[in-house]
Amino acid sequence: MVIHSLVSIVDDDESVRESLPDLLREFGFAAQAFSSAEEFLASEFIGNTRCLILDIAMPGMSGPELQRELALRRQPIPVVFITAHAEEMLERRMQDRGGAACLRKPFSDTALLEALQAALQKN
Amino acid sequence: MDSRFCRVVETLPGLVWTSLPDGQVDFLNQRWRDYTGLSAGETTGWDWQTTVHPDDLPHLRERWDACLASGVPGEAQARLRRFDGAYRWFLLRASPSADAAGDIAGWCGVAVDIEDRVRAETLLAGERRVLEMAASGQPMAAMLDALCRLVEATIGGCRCGVVLLDARGARLEHGAAPGLPEHFVTTIIGRPVTADADPCAMAARLDQQVIVADLASETRWPADGWRQTGLELGLRACWATPIASIHRKVLGVLAIHHHAPRTPAASDQALMEQFTRIAGIAIERAQNDAALKRSEAFLAETRRLSSTGGFSKRVATGEITWSEEIYRIFELDPAVPVTLDLILTRVHPEDLPSFQDMLERQRRGSDYEHDYRLLMPDRSVKYLHVVAHANRGEDGELEYIAAVQDVTQRRLAEDALAKARSELTRVARVSSLGALTASIAHEVNQPLSGIITNAGTCLRMLAADPPNVDGARETARRTIRDGNRASDVITRLRALFGKKDATIEPVDLNEATSEVIALSLSELQRNRVILRQELADDLPRVIGDRVQLQQVVLNLLRNAMDSMSGVADRPRLLVVRTEPDQDDHVRLTVRDAGVGFDPQDAERLFDAFYTTKSGGMGIGLSVSRSIIERHHGRLWAVANDGPGAAFAFSIPERPGGISHALAGGVTDAPDLGAIWTSAVTDARNVIGTT
Repeated sequence: MVIHSLVSIVDDDESVRESLPDLLREFGFAAQAFSSAEEFLASEFIGNTRCLILDIAMPGMSGPELQRELALRRQPIPVVFITAHAEEMLERRMQDRGGAACLRKPFSDTALLEALQAALQKN
Repeated sequence: MDSRFCRVVETLPGLVWTSLPDGQVDFLNQRWRDYTGLSAGETTGWDWQTTVHPDDLPHLRERWDACLASGVPGEAQARLRRFDGAYRWFLLRASPSADAAGDIAGWCGVAVDIEDRVRAETLLAGERRVLEMAASGQPMAAMLDALCRLVEATIGGCRCGVVLLDARGARLEHGAAPGLPEHFVTTIIGRPVTADADPCAMAARLDQQVIVADLASETRWPADGWRQTGLELGLRACWATPIASIHRKVLGVLAIHHHAPRTPAASDQALMEQFTRIAGIAIERAQNDAALKRSEAFLAETRRLSSTGGFSKRVATGEITWSEEIYRIFELDPAVPVTLDLILTRVHPEDLPSFQDMLERQRRGSDYEHDYRLLMPDRSVKYLHVVAHANRGEDGELEYIAAVQDVTQRRLAEDALAKARSELTRVARVSSLGALTASIAHEVNQPLSGIITNAGTCLRMLAADPPNVDGARETARRTIRDGNRASDVITRLRALFGKKDATIEPVDLNEATSEVIALSLSELQRNRVILRQELADDLPRVIGDRVQLQQVVLNLLRNAMDSMSGVADRPRLLVVRTEPDQDDHVRLTVRDAGVGFDPQDAERLFDAFYTTKSGGMGIGLSVSRSIIERHHGRLWAVANDGPGAAFAFSIPERPGGISHALAGGVTDAPDLGAIWTSAVTDARNVIGTT
């Protein structure tokens, strides 16, 4: 039986939580969606999540804050940031923080796949 | 001497006497004896001299000796002592009587009591002296001194003083007391104005005369206070009478002291009334002079500090008078006579048209305010602010009295501030537009992201072997739903920006326009624009949103002003005109003398983001046109025959269905402020074309 790598999605936007898991499964990953950073931290999936697709701006704990929290817990997980904000220099700042990539919404399926593969290889 | 002659002599209203040729008195009538209290034996020969006041005797003797030597009748005035010791003035006349041979057989004379007349004359002369001092602006102390001496001369044997009230009317101050010991005066000064302090304080407090007939038997004050001091100095009576201004305000107290117990007689009361009246005039005059000097000094200092000068101008003759400060502002020699030509050499050439405009207003005789600049010989510029008030003199001639203030420092600061503010506004406008764009982008990008992901997933599911048709159907369904969500975002944004309700009411376009002009006056003046208002009388009201219409007028004024900002070779004339238009419309036209526009651009002017101005966003006219169209009107532009352009709108008086159109549509939100308004408008335009 093939063990699919688990990719977890944390985004407060329902469209993303609905649409991304199907796409990820098409890519061959297992997928879990969470509506907030807190929900993810409380879940049983931290340990086996191979990669996180993380929205930057969310109510409560933001994406970068979740990334820092995981580092403090010594459970670093590769991250692909996504955002609907159009701020310049954002990708660069996120890469400096150790994020594998930062995708602006809307992004294409191939861009997402490339970012995921890059993040997993880095690990 | 026969008895009949004696009876005649005794009935005469005077003191009658006769003497031998050498002057020895041989007869005095009964009246003389009654008056002097001397017996017949005490008054013969030269004994009468003892009744004459010692000060008057030398003069009287001189005159009498001259009469005796020359044999010519003579007269003299002298004070004679009454039986009670009081002296009264008499007019003494002496005539020689001749015997049959024509030699002088003796002298006969009469002394008539002229005390009342002399007293009245002295009083009158004294009063005149004090009033003359007041009129010639003598110091108050000198006037009150003279008055005290007059009182003392008029009411025999008294000592007179004047105390004043301090500015708050709370304490006594020194006025004058030439005949009273300094020690006594210093105890009075500084006493509180209360009834229990002393008679002067009581008189001032109660505004009533206070009579102390005898200090020794007085009971209203304790024996150890002022009474003791007075008694030690030999004073027995004190009459204190308040001195009042013409408005019945107590200024001080006139105090008359006597060395013997005494109650004022009716004649004393009449005199005191007269003296206090004169004292009142003297004090008030001196205080007014002091106040005037203070306010003159104050005014001069204020003028100097505020760089304000004054001028007067008689319009008919053109005669101009300048204050010193204006000469200083214009940097001209005060010896140079002021003429209009001289002033014009200093007026900044760019301000000459508006200066001529001001001269025209002067001829109409209305009050005015005017700002203009001076160009000094060293090429520096001064900003002046003039406030002028028109008067008609008694001769009916029109005269202006005006204040001129050098506001250069203030103006430079204002200009710097305005420049900084407009720069800030531009930056704020751009950055708030950017923030708004980002927020809209975020809202739209979320559903777009879903759409694209779902569409991508859908394609992959269909391409799989076998195709996952159920999954593809589900993702396609989500794609449609996310598309609708994106559309909802746009609808929400429209609702957000359009939620300002319009207020529909009858609007007086003249009044609304005047308000806008009033708000823009300083800006018009700063841009040196000459404004002509041609507002039609009896303009019908229109139904609409007053604030929106005012925004349109303001926008047209601003554009006109901006279009003339570079104009230097002609007056920057701006005409605002209202008039009834055909088909029950009302028209407003703003005509400038600015750069104008190319006729083929007449329509593009109203496009959003079309602008000819470096600082403009190009949205003003497009918003203005949409406002006018919502009023069922029309906004258009026409190039002038000469330089410049005219922008006009015409709106119906009573449009049908306007309230619905105004309230429900996308309208401007004036209460959000210019920056936000512009940003929102820009955003709407973006959304509207998406």
